[in-house]
Amino acid sequence: MKPNTNEHDQGVVYRKTLGHYTVRANGRDIDCVLSSLLRKQLIYPIADPTSLRRRVQKVREVEHIDPVAIGDHVRFIRAGDGSGMINQVLPRHSTLSRPAPVPGQRVFEQVIVSNVDQVIPVFAAASPTPKWGLLDRYLVSAEASELPALIVINKLDMASKNRRLEADLEIYRRIGYKIRMVSSVTGQGLDELQALLAGRTSVLIGKSGVGKTSLLNAIQPGLGLRIKEVGRGDLGKGRHTTTHLEMFGLDIGGALVDTPGMREFGLWDINGEDLALYFPEMAGYVGQCKFGLSCRHDLEPGCAIRQAVMAEKVSPYRYKSYLNLREEL
Amino acid sequence: MNCPNTFGDFKCAHCGQIVSSAHWLSGVNNRNHCSYCLWSRHLDLYAAGDRLSACKATMQPIALTSKRSRNKYSRGRGELMLVHLCTDCSEISINRIAADDDADTLLEVFNDSCSLSNRTLNLLLENEIDILPPEGLPVLQLQLFGKITNIRLAKIV
Repeated sequence: MKPNTNEHDQGVVYRKTLGHYTVRANGRDIDCVLSSLLRKQLIYPIADPTSLRRRVQKVREVEHIDPVAIGDHVRFIRAGDGSGMINQVLPRHSTLSRPAPVPGQRVFEQVIVSNVDQVIPVFAAASPTPKWGLLDRYLVSAEASELPALIVINKLDMASKNRRLEADLEIYRRIGYKIRMVSSVTGQGLDELQALLAGRTSVLIGKSGVGKTSLLNAIQPGLGLRIKEVGRGDLGKGRHTTTHLEMFGLDIGGALVDTPGMREFGLWDINGEDLALYFPEMAGYVGQCKFGLSCRHDLEPGCAIRQAVMAEKVSPYRYKSYLNLREEL
Repeated sequence: MNCPNTFGDFKCAHCGQIVSSAHWLSGVNNRNHCSYCLWSRHLDLYAAGDRLSACKATMQPIALTSKRSRNKYSRGRGELMLVHLCTDCSEISINRIAADDDADTLLEVFNDSCSLSNRTLNLLLENEIDILPPEGLPVLQLQLFGKITNIRLAKIV
């Protein structure tokens, strides 16, 4: 099938539920399904790839859990009833991926979102208590995707319950990450945050119950998205409320992608050898160890990163996160 | 300790023995030194078990001290504690003795602690640690074996 290159048949994926994609084109939302061609990789003979009458040699399954992600610029064919069929995904300028949490031996890539300008890891000041190891995962993933990260601490109205919050955040400030403290309840800090969102496409990621959707409701009043209170009987754990990915256009310009709470966030396409490069405060020491680039920065003598930790130039908490992630890779 | 990021069994970095961290053997929650040679590894930074230290050098058992409720690490009949000295950064840490720690090696540590260098003694002083003095041998024997034995005394002296 020849892709339809008509300008009117190009749009951006704003929402997806099982098997259905909402594509926004010229200000209108079109409910689309996926062409089965996008689920396969057609292999043509190398001898004459430009031949007009190309014969498919082999069909391979695409190594993605879903070939279309929120934020994708796609081409689609319109059906007569107002729906459509996506038949081409245009090149992406950025992706944020993780290994798909599906059982089985084969690991598929799950592109959480594409074509975003910044990643916003959201944590609650308290309830649920921030897990900084998870933040480090998000930051490594953002660094590997070459996306800037903006750390948002929500529920500022509950900050008095977390005495260590400021000291913990100082670690990230010193590295150079931007941090904004907000409260979607009192509205504190929202103006500053909006200024950093305007004109950009951003994605909110974080555990259930940190207030991602509440934040979105506060930033873009009128959305009326469903939210729930954090459970009381289970140590302040969040309850899954948002069940699908969706991108929302903002009145201030730009867009914000809301994601369901993610308890698991594996690293995709990151080698253990490269991991230290994704910790900005450690990257400068890579290659300066006694064993050069072969150093795992764990037990090796003469490790420049360990020496930097001991000289208090690198936080021991971040170094521990590095070791924890290194064990996985 | 080749498994610094886990609290499981480990291979001693000093004597090479495989050390079990099973609670029913050691009687402690954080097994932080080898039960055979009593050497440890510098893994903790702010609190026991935090595994935040980047030093990771071996720690030598240099002396014994006892724990008291008011003045934690001073002489007395409190719980026996093992004093470790980091071979790289000279950090000193005090650790609980586990039930399966080798008693003879503990006596050897006590014996060696009677002839510590001035530098080490100063380090102990800076850390306000009173080590078990030579005349504390009967107390040590009582705590380790439940009785004072001449054989043990002969070995030490």
